[in-house]
Parts: sequence; C-alpha cells; structure tokens
Amino acid sequence: MSYTELQVTTNFSFLRGASHPEELVEQAASMGYKEMAITDRNSLAGIVRAHVAARAKGIRIIPGCRLDLLDGPSLLVYPTSVAAYSQLCSLLTVGNFRAPKGECHLYKADVYQYAHGMKLILLPPPVLNGLFDFDPSFEQVMKEYRDAFGEDLYLAAARSYSGDDAKYLYRLAQLSARLNVSLVATNDVHYHEPARRELQDILTCVREKCTIYTAGFRLHPNAERYLKPIEEMQRLFRHYPAAILRTQEIAGACQFSLDSLKYEYPEEITHEGRTPLEELTFQAWQGAKQHYGDNIPDKVVTAIHHELSFIERMNYAPYFLTVYDIVRFAREQNILCQGRGSAANSTVCYCLGITSVDPTKFELLFERFISAARNEPPDIDVDFEHERREEVIQYIYRKYGRDRAAIVATVTQQHQKGAIRDVGKAMGLSVDSINRLSGSIRDYTDELFESKRLTEQGLDPGDKHLCKVLDLTRQLMGFPRQLGQHTGGFVITRGKLSDLCPIMNARMEDRTCIEWNKDDIDALGFLKIDVLALGMLTCIRKAFDIAKDNYGLDLTLANIPPDDPVVYDMICHADTIGVFQIESRAQQSMLPRLRPRSFYDLVIEVAIVRPGPIQGDMVHPYLRRRNGEELVEYPSKELEDILGRTLGVPLFQEQAMKIAIVAAGFTPAEADELRRSMATFKAHGMVKKFGEKLIKGMMDRGYTLEYAQRVFKQLEGFGSYGFPESHAASFALLVYVSSWIKCYYPDVFACAILNSMPMGFYQPAQLVIDAKKHGVEVSPVDINYSTWDNKLEERSGKYCILRLGFRQVKGLREEDIGILISERETAYTSINALRDLGVPEAALEKLADADAFRSIGLDRRQALWEITARNERPVALFTGQPSDESLEQAVSLPRMSTSEHVVHDYAATSLSLKAHPVSFVREKLEQLRILSTKELNEAKDGQQVKVAGLVLVRQRPGTASGICFITIEDETGFANLVVFEALFEKYRKPILQSRLLMVEGKLQREGEVVHVIVKCCYDLTKLLRHLTASQEEQLPLLTLSRADEKPEQDFEGQRRKVDAREVKREKVFPGGRNFR
Amino acid sequence: MSKRFVSIWFRHLKTDWFILRRPVLQAMPFVLALPDHGRMVITAANALAQAQGIDTGMAVADARALLPSLEVLDDKPTLSAKLLKGIAEWCIRYTPVVAIDAPDGLLLDTTGCAHLWGGEIQYVKHILTRLKSLGYTAHACMADTIGAAWGMAHFSQGSPILESGQQMEALLSLPPAALRLEADTIERLEKLGLRHVRNFIGIPRPALRRRFGQIFLQKLDQAIGQEEETIQPVHPIQPYEERLPCLEPIVTATGIEIALQRLLETLCLRLREEEKGLRVCCFKGYRVDGKVEKIEIGTNRPSHNIAHLFKLFEIKISTMEPALGIELFILDASKVEDASPVNTTLWETSCGLDDPGLSELLDRFAGKIGANHIHRYLPAEHHWPERSIHAATTLLDKPQSTWKDDRPRPLQLLARPEPIDVTAPIPDYPPMLFRHKGKLHKITRADGPERIEQEWWLQEGQHRDYYSVEDEEGHRYWLFRSGHYSADKTYRWFIHGFFA
Repeated sequence: MSYTELQVTTNFSFLRGASHPEELVEQAASMGYKEMAITDRNSLAGIVRAHVAARAKGIRIIPGCRLDLLDGPSLLVYPTSVAAYSQLCSLLTVGNFRAPKGECHLYKADVYQYAHGMKLILLPPPVLNGLFDFDPSFEQVMKEYRDAFGEDLYLAAARSYSGDDAKYLYRLAQLSARLNVSLVATNDVHYHEPARRELQDILTCVREKCTIYTAGFRLHPNAERYLKPIEEMQRLFRHYPAAILRTQEIAGACQFSLDSLKYEYPEEITHEGRTPLEELTFQAWQGAKQHYGDNIPDKVVTAIHHELSFIERMNYAPYFLTVYDIVRFAREQNILCQGRGSAANSTVCYCLGITSVDPTKFELLFERFISAARNEPPDIDVDFEHERREEVIQYIYRKYGRDRAAIVATVTQQHQKGAIRDVGKAMGLSVDSINRLSGSIRDYTDELFESKRLTEQGLDPGDKHLCKVLDLTRQLMGFPRQLGQHTGGFVITRGKLSDLCPIMNARMEDRTCIEWNKDDIDALGFLKIDVLALGMLTCIRKAFDIAKDNYGLDLTLANIPPDDPVVYDMICHADTIGVFQIESRAQQSMLPRLRPRSFYDLVIEVAIVRPGPIQGDMVHPYLRRRNGEELVEYPSKELEDILGRTLGVPLFQEQAMKIAIVAAGFTPAEADELRRSMATFKAHGMVKKFGEKLIKGMMDRGYTLEYAQRVFKQLEGFGSYGFPESHAASFALLVYVSSWIKCYYPDVFACAILNSMPMGFYQPAQLVIDAKKHGVEVSPVDINYSTWDNKLEERSGKYCILRLGFRQVKGLREEDIGILISERETAYTSINALRDLGVPEAALEKLADADAFRSIGLDRRQALWEITARNERPVALFTGQPSDESLEQAVSLPRMSTSEHVVHDYAATSLSLKAHPVSFVREKLEQLRILSTKELNEAKDGQQVKVAGLVLVRQRPGTASGICFITIEDETGFANLVVFEALFEKYRKPILQSRLLMVEGKLQREGEVVHVIVKCCYDLTKLLRHLTASQEEQLPLLTLSRADEKPEQDFEGQRRKVDAREVKREKVFPGGRNFR
Repeated sequence: MSKRFVSIWFRHLKTDWFILRRPVLQAMPFVLALPDHGRMVITAANALAQAQGIDTGMAVADARALLPSLEVLDDKPTLSAKLLKGIAEWCIRYTPVVAIDAPDGLLLDTTGCAHLWGGEIQYVKHILTRLKSLGYTAHACMADTIGAAWGMAHFSQGSPILESGQQMEALLSLPPAALRLEADTIERLEKLGLRHVRNFIGIPRPALRRRFGQIFLQKLDQAIGQEEETIQPVHPIQPYEERLPCLEPIVTATGIEIALQRLLETLCLRLREEEKGLRVCCFKGYRVDGKVEKIEIGTNRPSHNIAHLFKLFEIKISTMEPALGIELFILDASKVEDASPVNTTLWETSCGLDDPGLSELLDRFAGKIGANHIHRYLPAEHHWPERSIHAATTLLDKPQSTWKDDRPRPLQLLARPEPIDVTAPIPDYPPMLFRHKGKLHKITRADGPERIEQEWWLQEGQHRDYYSVEDEEGHRYWLFRSGHYSADKTYRWFIHGFFA
C-alpha cells in the first residue's frame, strides 16, 4: 500500500510555498515516491518545472491546482485527460481575465461548468468549532459539491498535530460516511523539509506585511507541513488506511502528463492552398528575385536549396512563415524592423525580408545556428521601432485572437537586494540596517556576503540575528516573486492557447500573457517569436523620413550603399557619437585599435566589447593577433575550424559552446544546459560541476590545463553577457546604417536622434555640439519657427539647418503647444496673440525660460516679465483694447549676460547654442594652467597634465575591478579619465559631486586613444556659480549704519553662516550619467 | 514706543537635539531621513554633513555614494514642532509673547522687555548664549518688524540688532527669499534677475501686484513696517497643583482631613472642567520645622471623584506626622489623563471593566495590599504557551487579540514547567503514567499531541508535544514532551498546567 502526496504547494504560490518545485521533486524521489501532485493556488505556473525535474528523476508529476473560490471552500483538482486539462486551463483563464493581474476570481459555478473529467478533493476547514464539529454550512456546501461532482469528489484529511487530530479525523470520517464522499489523506505540503519552516514564516510575514514579531497567529504553530516519508504517512493514518489507499486511486486515474500536450503551428500563414513548405519555398524564391533580379547568384541559389531542405527535414516552415507574416505587416505599415537570433541571418530570411544582412557578404552557415541534434525550435527575434512596436503586438492579437496568441511570462526572481529587503523587513531590521546590508552586497561576485564588507558597513558578522537574516536571504534568493511579462516573446497556436496553458491579464493594458516562461515553453516544445523594441530603429526610420523630405532620398536598411570606405574611416577615428552600439566610451576607445574596415569587422567590434570577452581576457590576444604582433595559432585542428574567423580567439557565444562540444566532449544538450545554468541564477551550484567536467574533458583530449581554465572562465562570462554571432551581425548592420547616415547626413542624423530621445549614451547637448562640429547649423527653439519635433530647414552650405523643436524644452507638453503650431499661419508678433489662442500660462512661461521669443524681439527675461502679468487682459467686448499693462510704465530689468543666458538655456533645454559653459571660465582655467581637451589631444604620452570639464558620464563597470571611467567635456571636445579604485575612494566626493571637474594626472596615448590616468581630482563647480552673478552685485551697497556696532561683540555662531539658502544655480547642468 | 521683535532661527534644530541625546554624533556627519515615495530622503543634516555637500532634499542613497560613512537616523515628523514648543515655553522668561515660526524658528515680541536685561544687545546676547549652552545653534535678529527680523536672522551676517526704523535699508541688500515668499515667486524673481530687494523695491506697485500677487506686497509691507503683523503666542501649561496655606499650623488628623478635602474639591473641580482625571497624586504637608510629609496615591483609571480620592488618601493620613504643625498643604496631580465624561444611564447594567466601581475597588485594594499584588492578563499572539499571555499595565489596556479557545489550555499554567517521569509508547502516543512530586498518576484518558515549535526568532531549542491527560482520580493535567522521541534520550517530559 503506497502513498502519493496530492497537496503540494510550491513557491509558485507566491509567498506561500517555501520550496522550489525542483527541490520537492528531488525530495520525493529520494523518499521513494513514484508520483506526486503539484497544486499551486489558482495557477499552473510551477508544473512545467516540476515536470522537467520529475522527468529527470524518473518519477511522475500529476499536474493539478488548488482552486480558491470566492464563494465556497477550496478544492484540489486533477485533470485525468488532455481534455480535462484543457478545461482546467480554460477555467483558470476565465478567472484570470475577470481579475487584475496576479489574481484569479473563480466561483463555484465556474468549477461546475469545467469540472468534467477531473478528480476533485474538497479541503475542509482546518479547525472544528466550539461544539467539536464542522460548521453546518460546510456540510451544506459539501452536499452541493457532491451533487455536482458525484464520484469524482473526495474529502481531504490532513494531520496537522494540532492537539485534537483524533477528534478532527473522526468527524471527517463521520462526514465522509454520511455524505458518501471518500476520505483521502494529504499532508498539505508547503516545503520539502522541516527546516524550511523559518523561511515559510518569513514569506507569511512578507505576504501579510508584518514582521515576525507581530505576525502572531498568522504563522503556523509547527513545522509539520513538510513532505513526509511514505511510512510516516501510513503510520499517521493507521486508523484510516482507506484514506491512504484512495491516494493511489486518484493517482491511478490521473494519467495525464504534460508530455501529451501537442503544440501546433497556426495555419493562417499560407495562401492559395499551399502547404507551409510550398508557401515558404514560393515566398523565398519570390524574395530572391526581388533582391537579386532574374540573375540570382549561384551561391544564393545553393544556399536557398540547402536551407529549404534543412527546414523541410526539421519541419520549421510554419515558423518561418509566422515570422514572415509579422514582418510583412510591419513593412506594410512602414515600421522598420530587423531580425536577429539563431536563424535570422539565413539566406531564406534575407529573401523573406526578415533581415537585411546580406548573407553573401560573409559566411554564416545555417546549421551553425540551429543544431539538428537538439531538435529545438529555431529562434528568431525581431526588433521593431520602439515607438511603434505596440502596433505590431496588437496586430498579432488581432490576427490570431487573444485565445490563440499571448505573451510569454517572465518569472521575476528574488535577487539579492530584493531578498535582503524582504527578509530584513520581516525580521524587524530598521530601514537603516537593511540599507547597510544591501550595501554590503556586491554584484559580480559569487560570494554573497563577505564578512569584510559587513564589517565595513558597521555590522557584526558574528551577530546571531544577522546570521539568521543572511541565512534566510540565501534561501530566499532565486525564489519566484511574481509573473511578469516577457519583453516580447509571443506564443501563437493553431487551436485555443487556453487549452494548453492558462492565460492572464498583464499589467499593461491590452496585453495578455501565459503563466509559463520561455524555459517552460521550450521544455514543452512550443514556438515562441520575440517581438522586441529597439530605439535605434525608431531613430533610423525617422532619419529615413527626414532624408526623404529634405534630400529626396529613398533609403531602406537594405539599400544603404555597403562597404563605403569613407564611413569606415569615420568609424576608425571613433567619431561615433550617437551611432548604434559603438558610441560608448569603451567602444570608442576600441575602434582606433581594431580599425574596422569591413562588415565582419563591425560584427567583431560589436561582440568584443562585452563583459564576456573582457572577463575571459580575450580582447587583447585578439587585438595582438589582428595587428600581427602575435602568431595566429590553434591548440588543435578541430579548434581551427571553430575559431578560424576570429584568429583563434573565441569571441562569440556559439564558439564557446562549440568548444565545449568538440574539445570537452559535451553533448549539444549538455553544452546548452551549461550555458543556461550560467545564465540563470547561480543558485544551484551547477556551474562548478560543469566547470570540473569541462576542464577534465579538455585535458583528456590533450589541451593544457591553463587553456581549459581560460575557456571555462570565458564560458562563465558568456553565460550572462555573451553575444551570439548572428545577433552581432544583425546589430552590426544597424551600426553600419547609422554610421552611414551620420557620415553623409549629420544634420539628418542629429535631427532623428534628438527626436528619438531618450536613447543611447549622450545628452542632447553633446549631440548638438557634435552636429555643429560636423558643420551643421543649429537654430534655437522659437515660437515662430519650431514644431514639436526637431526639424530640418532650408539648406545652408552643405547641410540643412537644424531647428530645435519644442520637445527639447523641459516640462512642456505636446498638447499645450499643439494649438500654437496649428494656428501659426503668419508669424506671431506678441505674447498676447498666443494668450488669445489659449496657450496655457505655464506653457508660455516654459517657452520664456527656453528663450523662444527672440523672433518677436524679447529675450527670456522680458518675455517672462510680460507673461507673468496675468489676468489683466481685456476680455470679451474689450478684447484687443489696450490693457493696463500696456499703460504701465516700462520697467528696466537687469540685463542678462551671455553666461547667464547659457545657464538658463541649460536649465530649460539641457543645451545652449550660445556658448559652452566652460568657455566662460576658460580664462581662469588658463591661469591655473589647465589644458583644454583639444590641447590635451596634442600633448605627449606620459606628460603630466591638468584638464577640466563638465562631467558627462561616470562609469564603474563591474568588470573593471573598481576602476571608474569618467568622460568630461569642454568647449573644445571630450577627454577620457581613468580613476583607479584607491583614488576613487579618496576623491569620491569631487568625482561624484562636481559638475565641473578638474583633474591632474598622466596622459596615456595609445594610437589615437588618449586617456588621463588621474592622480588628483578637484571640484571646480564653484567657478560656474559666478556665471550668473550679474554686474550690479559689484556695485557699492547702500551701506547700513553700523555706528553702534562694536567690533568686539562676538555672537558665537552668527559668523559662520554658510550660504545654505542660496539658490544653487550650478545644479542646472546635467549631473552626468552614472552607469554602474 | 515702536514695537520690537526678535526672530530666532535654529539652523540645526533637529540634528542639535540628536547630538544632545547622543554626544558621539557631535563629531560625525549625520543626517535624518524619512521615506518618501519609496526612497529615503534627507530631512535634516548636521553642520558636518552639510560641509560635505549633503543637504536636505537629497536621497540618502546619493548622499551615501558621496560619503559612505554617513550616519543616517530615522527622523520623527513631529519632532521639530515638539522641540519648538518646548523652547518657546522656555523663552517665556524673556517675554510673555513667544510664537512658533515653523518649521525651525521662534518669534518673540520683545516690546518693552529688553531694558530688563540691560539693553537690546545684552538681551539678544543673553538669549543666544543660553540657547547655545542648551546645545542649539541659533541665529537671531531684533528689529521693528517681524519680517525684517526674520529676514535678517536668516540671511544676514551682520549685527543682530537692527536699529529702529532701519529695516528698509537693511532689507535692500537681502534676497527676495528673506521676505518669506512662496518658492515659485522666489524662483520667478530670480529668473527676472531681481535677486535683491533693492532691485524691485522701486518698481511701481501695480506692476508688482499683477505679477506676484497681493500677498507679495503684503509681505513686503510687513517687513518694511507699513503693515501690522500679529503672531499667535504659545501659552504655558498650568500644572495641576493646588496650595492651601494655613493661618495656624495644623496638628490634628481632622485638620489634615479638612485641608485634604478642600484641596481635592478645588483640584477636582478644575479637572472636571477640563475633562481630565488624575492617575497619580501627591499630598504634601510642609511642616513648621521645614520637613515635608507626603502621601501618594495612584488610580487605575483617570478619576476626579472627590469621595473616592479622599478614601484612598484617608487610609494613609495616619502616616503623616504633623509634629509641631503643618503650615502649608500642596496637592499635586503629577499624572493626569483625559477622562471622558461618564454617561449617566437609566439602568446601571455595566458590570465589566467599564464599571467605575470596579476600578475604585481595585484602587482601594491596591492601597491596602500594594499594586504589585494585583495582576491582569491579556492574550498575546504567540503559539508558545509561556508567551501567549502578558500582564496588562492598566485596566484600560485593550486585548490585541481575542482569547484563543480552539485549543485546550489549562486553568492554571505553571510559570515554569516541572520535569516529570513518564512511561509512554513511542514515538508520539500519549503517556500511560507519570510521576509528579513523588505521586504516581495512572492515565485513563488522553488527547494529543499538539505540536508547538519554538518561535525560532526568539529562542532556539526543541519543539513540544502537548498532551491533555486525565488520571484515575479524574484530575486533568497538561503534559508535554520536549523534543522528538529518540533512542539517545535527548527528549524530556514536563508538566505545564492543571485543568481542574
């Protein structure tokens, strides 16, 4: 007589279960259980994980669910067949759709409707009433349930060690006999081992928003709800052996397994009765003709034949067609898109227009991306313009219906900081100590809590309470916390999606998603298409539009002239501000070293400046080999095939995995598991196991230990931050396209990128300065010329004039300004004209702040003076009559100096066309012998220099062991600073606080790349303060009579008054971005 | 005589107070912070922190990035109001009219007061010196108008005395913020380049009013002295104390009783009018020979019932030794609480804790046997039996939860479980017999186990399996085994209570 546990709550019942499904399965298997049910609350989110784990352990999972009803006692339900499972999914879908995200509202009537083919267990109230019996109402409901479900209904009996178990079971047995509902034993499992009770208590506290000290009876009195051994369950129910037997009856009846779910591709993707393959073949050749004309190159013909036969073998045609359909829609709507991902850079995809990377340009073998052995679905991600992706998403919903298409979930996991916060709060720590604790966590280290850092934060690592908090945090980490929405992964099915999985509302309006994440649907072999958003595509599309309007060009991603040496020249000089991907400082310093001259060089450039290769120390070997400073050699012939294109240095994720397969004897599936185990949370200690295996495997095959370790180290980096080659190729195309536009039409580029803000690394000010440097004339915001967006005006010289738009003005709303633009037939001549239109006062004030009234002859101060005189305008009958204000005698306001204007420009629009702020203090800087950044670039290597500028970016990448990179800017250009960790600690304040930073250090020159290795930092922000000080302050004051004041009268404290209440003007300059 | 006002600005009011309580803070930069929209925002910073560029309004995270060693303490939102009130009451020694100038200042109407301290300069100096010795950084200024005094205290480094009629001149060089204007008005003036009062004082008033409103002009006028401004002074609290001097020294008990009766009458009358009741009261007699005789009573709920209070004192009057006579009686209610007036009901049905009779009875018991011999227990939300009750401090304590009655709990719970010897089947069946204090009990009926785990956040140790058992004589006991049954005998049995 065996026993099957039928009531198991995993941590996918958020803040209730205290064990991972995997842990429960493992425990069950080790205790000799053959089957176990998973019954999370109104959710099936955890069953796939349990299923996968159980498959590995050779036991069986009975998928089930605990239905918490709004109008009746809870039920455990188990589908006996695929049909019943579909019913259960539909039931949960119904409940999910009724409720906001994260909730599920179900009623008895729903269960009656969908319960066909399910086994149900009724959960009785946990305690008896004062008369030592169940409430009569419970019996009533039970009767109702029995009438509805008949034989399929059971009554749960659990022993919770609550003192009156004997009475309780006796009453249950009575009830069961009276109503003829069989008693079945369960243990209401919430965790796999008793030790997890502490964590479960914490979860209860988080759920109930209390601390462990105030939780009281909301906690359970004992730790009995763990998975108990079969013999123990038999002993506990020795008086009711039938209840144990019944578990076998239910387990026997519920033979449904998730393996029997079949995913089918949607069918609306073919035309004229063709099969999917015929359709794909047809479309591919159509596309090839469009791209190459009638003379399709032989290479392409071969490739298409080859790929189509592979696709046929793997039966992937419907997948490609589905993606094609979405891309086709985007194209029709003039939404720019670009595919990437393992299969995206195939010739077929190029012909279908999914990608614009010409496959003839470089050798990307199709099978390299899809491994036939693993038989996994291919993976194509499509990037769309970020501003218009929603249109594509809604198209998918519209075309396939909400019951057939939904977004995949992402399981938000408890990360270190979240976990410490939750546990800390529940354990009653003060906000202050929680902050200190999370301050002692450092990303990028495996060690969670270093006792050294704890001590630094003033915490005692030996403290018992603290140890408990840390211990619980460690357990909580990696727990699922909520189901979020994947960034754009779609599941589309032929039949109803709700037959396969419950669907729920997402937090965003008009979005629905399923309960499973991408690993889950991978495990079950579902198709997923990623519909992603990319800001640069928006920018490029806007650039195309602007180019069409102003230059009559008809550009697409595919028809930009390829391989233009002028463009590569620009890239080699790191003149790439605003360009996709290669604009960052790290990339900019790499470009002159790598000197890309071809498309594939760009692919490498994109992939090489990544934490993966950097951590794996692959960058320098590659550079040396490329520059011919080091011999290109391969540890073995087999590796030469893999690493040939990258000169023997692995740079791409695929290469790293291939090495694991070829050189360490991993199976493809193992290699993939290895990658996943590194990418997902490092909670399970799998990484180490794989590492040992990899190194051993490689040494067995004759590689040196050192090489093997290096490969493993790199693999580790790739796990989370690696870049597959095909992604890099897709990105490289966008890099090239954006570089091309910037190179030939800097006006178009600047306009487009400003209209797509926020995006990329740089502030509008830098983009405008950069555009001006390239010879683009820029005009300020003006009420008579600007539109909401930035736009190009008539040609002036080589390029068009860039007119800044109202969108650059901080705090101005598009709807407020709409009327100003739409009614602007002739130029406005007065502020009152705008008032009469109904432009709000606040908007006018913002315009005045932005100095947008120049065309009517008012500077910002005069404009503001006029605008603020409100509510005194003649209205109705008297409209147009002279107002009081016009009779007012003219008031002369203090004149504004240029420097003051610049400060206010920055305050209102984050940029100034009048001058660069640093130029006003140049004279003072020169007195201090501080170089401009331009002079810096002419200085010699190793020279001691001083340089100052506005701080643009501070970066402390985790890969750089505490080194801080700073970029500063002055009126002549940029300078890159490097601050080592020890110095950073010393100069923390000036580095983090100053707007105008001056540093002293040694110049380091490497080709074109110039750095300053910082020795000292000074905060010169005070200099900027004088920009606003107007002349009158130097005039003699009307002195007060101080005749009676005797100098010796010293009032303590009265003297040391700091300018605490002074308005700090320098704050208007952007504080620089901090990337950590 | 023209009016004179002093404005005092406590630059570091709250942080100064924290330093007073924890002198170590004196030497380290620290801030006070409150959560605001999910992040901690600094609400006050001490001078050392400010010197590091940390100021109010900054997020704690940013400040920490700047200064990792920064000490962050939780602010109390009501703190500054409380402190100001205290200081204001203390300042009444300087002038009867003291007002609070939220959030961090005081206003004193010093008209006609300064000469008592030897002139205005001495006066202000005295105030500042005293405040400094109390530990507060203060800036002050005396002027004809509140506005001018305020502006000069906050924005000027000059002399703390502004001679009568000088306010206009003094204000000219101050920024507009010194006029106590709204933040957006200040910002607008700044944008217009009107950074000092002198920049706009000459602008025609209609033009100013149109742009900055009537309030702006009013504040200006008030500062200059063209418009009166009034303040809302604080009043000191009158202590609940009654005095009765005697013409002749009192030596008899009857005399004392009469004195007590009189004092109680006046005190209780006042308490009743203010809807207060006393909790602790001290009756003092000042003897001719300089000694003080006193008796003290306490009540369970606020009371102003003369007869009841008299009774409580009466028991103790015999302990007063008048000796040569008492010449002054003082009745001092040191602890007074709000007492809601009791509704007179038509039919007295109340018999629970609300019955004033009960508390008066308890007061009298306490007077006889001592308050620490009477206990009242309330349920506490703990599964662990010892912690499931806690002693109430007053009759008015409301239970935080209801008494749990779904599990059997003994009538008498031993404060400390007593070990017993037990014969019981393994592993977790109820015992068959146990020996307690030498007596063997054969168990005839039993129920259990009820397993209660340690509250791990309070204490470590083994769980308990509780059994309710009945012996042959029909007595019922509450027994438990600490820990699981195991062969190595780490478990032990205890008795923890008696049902009947």
